[in-house]
Amino acid sequence: MSPRQIAIWSAVAILGAVAWGIIALVRGEHINAVWLIFAALCSYAIAYRFYARFIANRVLGVDDRRATPAERLDNAKDFQPTDRRVLFGHHFAAIAGAGPLVGPVLAAQMGYLPGTIWIIVGVIFGGAVQDMVTLFFSMRRDGKSLGQMAREEIGPFGGAAALVAVLSIMIILLAVLALVVVNALANSPWGTFSIAMTIPIALFMGFYLRVLRPGRVIETTVIGVALLLLVIVLGGLVENSSLAAAFTLSPETLVFWLVVYGFAASVLPVWMLLAPRDYLSTFMKVGTIALLALGILLTRPVMVNQAVTKFAGNGQGPVFAGALFPFVFITIACGALSGFHSLIASGTTPKMIEKESQVRLIGYGAMLTESFVAVMALIAACIIEPGLYYAMNAPAGVLGTTVQSASKAVAGFGFTISPAQLTAAAAAVHEKTLVARTGGAPTLAVGMSEIFSGIFGGDALKAFWYHFAIMFEALFILTTVDAGTRVGRFMLQDTLGNVWKPLRRTSWWPGVWATSAVIVGAWGYFLYTGVTNPLGGINQLFPLFGISNQLLAAVALTVATTILIKSGRLKYVWVTAVPLFWDAIVTLTASWQKVFSADTKVGFFAQRAKFQTALDAGKVLPPAKSLDQMREVVTNSTVDGVLAAFFAILIVVILVDAVRVWAATLGGRREPVLAETPPEPSKLWAPAGLIPTADERAYLAEAKRGDTEPALTGSAGQRVVKEE
Amino acid sequence: MGARAKDLLGRVGWYVREVMGENAYDHYVEHARRQHPDAPVLSRREFERQRMDEQAQKPQNRCC
Repeated sequence: MSPRQIAIWSAVAILGAVAWGIIALVRGEHINAVWLIFAALCSYAIAYRFYARFIANRVLGVDDRRATPAERLDNAKDFQPTDRRVLFGHHFAAIAGAGPLVGPVLAAQMGYLPGTIWIIVGVIFGGAVQDMVTLFFSMRRDGKSLGQMAREEIGPFGGAAALVAVLSIMIILLAVLALVVVNALANSPWGTFSIAMTIPIALFMGFYLRVLRPGRVIETTVIGVALLLLVIVLGGLVENSSLAAAFTLSPETLVFWLVVYGFAASVLPVWMLLAPRDYLSTFMKVGTIALLALGILLTRPVMVNQAVTKFAGNGQGPVFAGALFPFVFITIACGALSGFHSLIASGTTPKMIEKESQVRLIGYGAMLTESFVAVMALIAACIIEPGLYYAMNAPAGVLGTTVQSASKAVAGFGFTISPAQLTAAAAAVHEKTLVARTGGAPTLAVGMSEIFSGIFGGDALKAFWYHFAIMFEALFILTTVDAGTRVGRFMLQDTLGNVWKPLRRTSWWPGVWATSAVIVGAWGYFLYTGVTNPLGGINQLFPLFGISNQLLAAVALTVATTILIKSGRLKYVWVTAVPLFWDAIVTLTASWQKVFSADTKVGFFAQRAKFQTALDAGKVLPPAKSLDQMREVVTNSTVDGVLAAFFAILIVVILVDAVRVWAATLGGRREPVLAETPPEPSKLWAPAGLIPTADERAYLAEAKRGDTEPALTGSAGQRVVKEE
Repeated sequence: MGARAKDLLGRVGWYVREVMGENAYDHYVEHARRQHPDAPVLSRREFERQRMDEQAQKPQNRCC
């Protein structure tokens, strides 16, 4: 490093350290949210510059002389060398969703400090590492999926367990995300109208793109976004019109429509609904995230939440039960360590990467960006008054339905908000009530409307920004739901196709309809129980979602650790083994508590026993209001408990199977066989990082003049020369 | 408008077209001409249709 670089990096380190110091040590007065932004950005910069580089060069041994699958198998379709900046955009759009927005909001009940530390430390040593190594190993195997890699590198048993893990996490994920949407839209005609209108907008865009102007994606999206903003504004009018009743839907009715929608999106051609919605949601996602970052920097809000709340220690928090360890690490998955990303990192991205060295930018860099989104979501949740936060996020069964009962319940948690304040907060965003609007989306929307209205429009536009935020979240959650249902359907068709061939044919309608129905039926079941559960759907299901996501991370990290061991890189194995160890401890502890805890708020079976005993005696226990609801609680707790146990068993199976392979390899009893594609020399050249280095620029200049003979024959190489 | 602003705008435009897939057809034509110079090239309408229908068979997962 040059003296100048040393000076710059020292300054970054000092700024980061000061920011961390302020976040961690200042007590008794509110700190400014900007310190969280500084702490995050400085930590990311140092991690990217030093740790990610170490992993790329030493641990993985990226080799730019070696052609990537995109170069070797270029078919101008799924395999295609793609500019690193463009691929970064694609990859980020695929990994970023509602997860990093919802998890941190829920985890805010423990205070902002635990969540902030986990999001930043977790991404640096866990999540970003997982994404990057999975991307690298999949790239070295022509873009094989995580399940295929598990089968080839660990064995058929581990592979099968991985496949089951993938399918079950998808079901839980879709149910929980759909539940977030239902909670955000229930009895809200403004929100429901705007979201409902996205369907005709998408259909119109699909038709426009298919028939009128094939391939003109940008103008189609511009039209779509304009229509979208229009319907958000119109929603405000609908709310006060005779149409309001038609769009005031109960949670149960919304579940019905979501299931119908998911099924339709899965069986209809993608150009009609899925593809245009994807354009819309990606555009909204990136735009809103950028706007949020700008808003936080311009308004520099103050964190009114406590650094660490009492719920971190006593585990009696109303939003979700359980103590800081392990439940913060389960609740915040996306943004810190998200197993789901390993499906994306072993999907389309490895088939499009130009140069091996770019895994650092795309794998590690995109995940750092997602982590930053999570930090911003945490900020948005922590600038709201704690009283309002708990009134919005505790289950309805605890809060009751009126502002009076909610105010009383919040006082019981040790916070204050008056009924009048609750009414005023709801009125400010044109909602009938904000009581028990669980799921994180409404809370985030309140926080975002606070930030946005601070820059644009003031109080007058608060309601618009609130519904804008709701729309933005619901839109891309629904995109995840429809894409996920379709992916799940293909996975199911593929798996069942092994047993009965016709099912695999994607043009055989009975098979398509049946498998789609199974997938929507499965997530629809959990969604329905989540909506009707007196104990609160988010409270009960979100931990399961976290556990299943971290289970998938365990699969990805196990595969990576196995490959490191088999390829003789034992001295670097800690890079994936340490996060794997941590992840396994967290997930297994959480599952253990969810299954065996005697605390009826935490343990599913303790909960079941308590309600069953009362039911046998013919008694009704609050928050249930009838014997039917009692029976519902008993069934739900049983199903959820069995699932928690099932996830724990899956992790143990995969780990045991992998440890067997590790032991055999290290003991020399088995010749390690790697499923890597043999190297072929690369003819392409492109910079490794986001901004070309001085060396890279000099090389490009030479290549342009034709002084050297760089082998720039491929399409991407020419493109790079043209664009730089 | 200054040359630098124009240049920047051009870069942003290029990036948006690439990310959104507006350039997919151009890349396909370039690829087809280079790899199979004698084979007929699809029209934009045919190409976009085929691309979309292939996407239908390989849906991309969106994360949480």
